[in-house]
Amino acid sequence: MPQRDGENTPSAMTGVSLEVRGVSASYGEVRVLQDISLTIAPGEFVALLGSSGCGKTTLLRSISGFVPVDDGQILLAGQDITNRPPDKRNMAMVFQSYALWPHMTAAQNIGYGLRLRRVPQADLKRRVAAMLDLLGLEGLGERKVTQLSGGQRQRVALGRALAIEPQILLLDEPLSNLDARIRQTVRHEIKALQEQLGITAVHVTHDREEAMVMADRIVILDAGHIVQVGAPEEVYNRPASPFIAAFMGADNVVDFTVERANGRVRIPAAEHNDEAFLPAGDVSGAVHLVGDCNGPVQAHFRGEAAGLVSGEEIPPDSLVLRGRISQSSYPGGFYRYAIQVGAQQFMVDDPRPLSVGAAVGISLPAASLHLYSP
Amino acid sequence: MISTATRNRERLLGLLLVSPALLTVGLLFVYPLGFSLVTAFTGEEGLWTTANFFKAFEFYSNDILFTVVIVVLSTILIGLGAIAIGGYLTLGEHPVAVAILKWLYRWPLFIPFIVAGQLMRTFLAKNGLMNNIFVSTGLLDPLQTTSFLDWRGIVITFVWKQTPFVALLVAGAMASLDRSMIEAARNLGARRFRILAEIIVPQVQPTIVIGLILSFVVMMSVLSVPMMINAQTPTMLTVDMAFRINAYGDYGVANALGFISYLMTGVVAWVYLRQGVRAGGAP
Repeated sequence: MPQRDGENTPSAMTGVSLEVRGVSASYGEVRVLQDISLTIAPGEFVALLGSSGCGKTTLLRSISGFVPVDDGQILLAGQDITNRPPDKRNMAMVFQSYALWPHMTAAQNIGYGLRLRRVPQADLKRRVAAMLDLLGLEGLGERKVTQLSGGQRQRVALGRALAIEPQILLLDEPLSNLDARIRQTVRHEIKALQEQLGITAVHVTHDREEAMVMADRIVILDAGHIVQVGAPEEVYNRPASPFIAAFMGADNVVDFTVERANGRVRIPAAEHNDEAFLPAGDVSGAVHLVGDCNGPVQAHFRGEAAGLVSGEEIPPDSLVLRGRISQSSYPGGFYRYAIQVGAQQFMVDDPRPLSVGAAVGISLPAASLHLYSP
Repeated sequence: MISTATRNRERLLGLLLVSPALLTVGLLFVYPLGFSLVTAFTGEEGLWTTANFFKAFEFYSNDILFTVVIVVLSTILIGLGAIAIGGYLTLGEHPVAVAILKWLYRWPLFIPFIVAGQLMRTFLAKNGLMNNIFVSTGLLDPLQTTSFLDWRGIVITFVWKQTPFVALLVAGAMASLDRSMIEAARNLGARRFRILAEIIVPQVQPTIVIGLILSFVVMMSVLSVPMMINAQTPTMLTVDMAFRINAYGDYGVANALGFISYLMTGVVAWVYLRQGVRAGGAP
């Protein structure tokens, strides 16, 4: 999607702030959202991230007015819009299924919102042409949407939403119907377009990487609650709970009993690990601690952060788990080993060819460890 | 290579398999239709003639026009009613009202035409239930009441009886549309009426057309309703056909009138098929 400047480009849409205050919502008897509060700054791109059933889509639909809220308020630029119908909120939504109207052409789909606003015909044509141009759909305006490819339909859906110059852009898993290769590029295109237009955007996704790449801020939901809000680096490097750590990819779990001493964490030697004395606190390369972490803890780490060491060697500021290679494969460029550590198995990549059954150590740099007190 | 004998045997077997269906269609449809067509063009002496058609037009051209007007008007009203019911069931926001409508609207489907005719006679007469309600609520003076037992009664009965059938088909088609298409229009600022007219109806149009054509054909063939509700001239062709046969044993003119009815439904079917071909899809 080429980005263009000049008089044909739709004018920058001034983003506005959006505030969700103590919102709860239900489907029948089932509470789906519990006391959700969230403030989104003008022009900010926020991703609502969570597994299916966590309430992220319901929150988006509450914001758009399709799901009534039981309690709480929704404010747009400081104005209470909680009880406004969906057609009076000046928000535009891009649906997961695109929801394009098959009996209309691409241009008619994009221009529909303008037609509803009684934009004069000449002006409407010019704006639709500018939108087609902006989205790289030149020459496709007269095609029926059923004759367009998945990626092109996705752009028409985006164009239809942006054409009315909404104050808020709502994206409900808009990339999940695209194949993986196209999805990679469309992510960046949407993000670039949002920045160019300066519009406030709320994006629902269950794809961690998609949220990381696109959003300024990520809101993680679980069972109808917000469990963490932060910049991509923050939720990735400092997940606030074991659930978030696992959701953000740190899904290898080991239980230890640790001690705090001199600003460090001591993990005593045990059957399957060597003793480690790791830096903690606000220094770079420190272990991420949640809770007092003096006693039993749950340690989470990502498989890709681990390395293999042979013999008794212990890299500095690292924890080493001891085990044996139980399986080996070659996905290309490196070997992937399944390491049996006690009753657990961890997958670790390493460039060296090693034989099955060899005793090895899994080295975990302090910065890759997240410790949680129960 | 397959020998000619084997191929012939396979052909015979295929013909045997299809013969029950072919016989049924032939005996119960093609033969009576052909016979009635032949009778329409046969005079009393058994010679070919177009006299039956001349007679039919001479005596019944008003009734032909009356039939066309009644059935076309009813079809239009049925279409509007079905779209309104389907639209409310799809877009209605009051769950109780939607549930009541869903429960109520199908009832006339289960009532035979002859019972509907009888029911409307007591409802639409000068001293019928409808006028009684108007009088008792003070809307009308007893002297102002008129009987609706004329062409209006036929239209009302047809619409009452056939709207649920088309609404059933149309509401089903509307319900199977992707809900987010409706939400997308709502989200862009469209009111419900516009969503119905611009988003929903164009997409279920083939279903509406099928339902209306089936209704058109059914109404063309109903005898009891015009006979019970409209005991005067002009009347519908079905009544004339029954009269020619019962009063005069005149199968020639009756069949000519039948052929004319058949042409009317044929025109509707042709328009529909042509539209299907133009749209490039299956009809």
